[in-house]
Amino acid sequence: MGKSKQVGNHKSDKKKNIAKTWKTKRRTKDLDQIHADMLPANAAKLLQQEVDYDVTGCAQHYCLHCARYFVNLKTLKEHFKTKVHKKRLKQLREEPYTQAEAERAAGMGSYVPPRSVEVHTQQVEEHMDSTEAPA
Amino acid sequence: MMFVRNDCKVFRFCKSKCHKNFKKKRNPRKTRWTKAFRKAAGKELTVDNSLEFEKRRNIPVKYKRDLWNKTVETMKKVEAIKHKRQAQFIMNRLKKGKELEKAEAVNEVKKNIHLIKAPHARQAKQLEEKMVQKLADDVEMKD
Repeated sequence: MGKSKQVGNHKSDKKKNIAKTWKTKRRTKDLDQIHADMLPANAAKLLQQEVDYDVTGCAQHYCLHCARYFVNLKTLKEHFKTKVHKKRLKQLREEPYTQAEAERAAGMGSYVPPRSVEVHTQQVEEHMDSTEAPA
Repeated sequence: MMFVRNDCKVFRFCKSKCHKNFKKKRNPRKTRWTKAFRKAAGKELTVDNSLEFEKRRNIPVKYKRDLWNKTVETMKKVEAIKHKRQAQFIMNRLKKGKELEKAEAVNEVKKNIHLIKAPHARQAKQLEEKMVQKLADDVEMKD
């Protein structure tokens, strides 16, 4: 996989102050947290949240793997087609890095290579029914 | 250095370099200079009995002077064996590159053999051709 083609280097606000995005104040979820979210019990809770007016789209359209809220179903579906989302899925296909693995890598015990995990984009259709009910 | 995430999980770092890279959400398995990368990519010895001694066991052992002395002695031995095996592993890994290099060199020579023929090698043939032509000319002249 080569480096992806960059589009729009000057206008994007993200690149203006890159250090800001690394501040703990703006810290987004780590991959191992998302792996925990992907467990069926947690996933069901996250995908069917109560209406919260403070959150984008009243917390009704959540992408589990990117830990992001969307305004409506259309934008959520559009998001599933984007490079950002596909890249995230690819990152999630590997077992999360743990302290145990770090210790094994440092020479405490034999190193066991990470297992791969099957990750697919969440089902949208059944989600749609549940979102239409409160609206 | 320590980082406590908002779900109370504690991360400890050996140096600020590691902390900074963590903040940038880098994957240690993909970062070339980490031990995790070197092991995951098969650059270093990963599975060996000599690696099984040093471990976090979380079992308290009552102090005995005899046991302590023996352990320290064995640690030195184990360390020596481990270093030897790790070095051997790397040497074996590098052998393959040498083989490939050799094969590549042979291939290059085969491809460009016409460049390294001796300059005089062609002269004999040319002379012969010249002689043959001259003879043919002479025969023609006589006719």
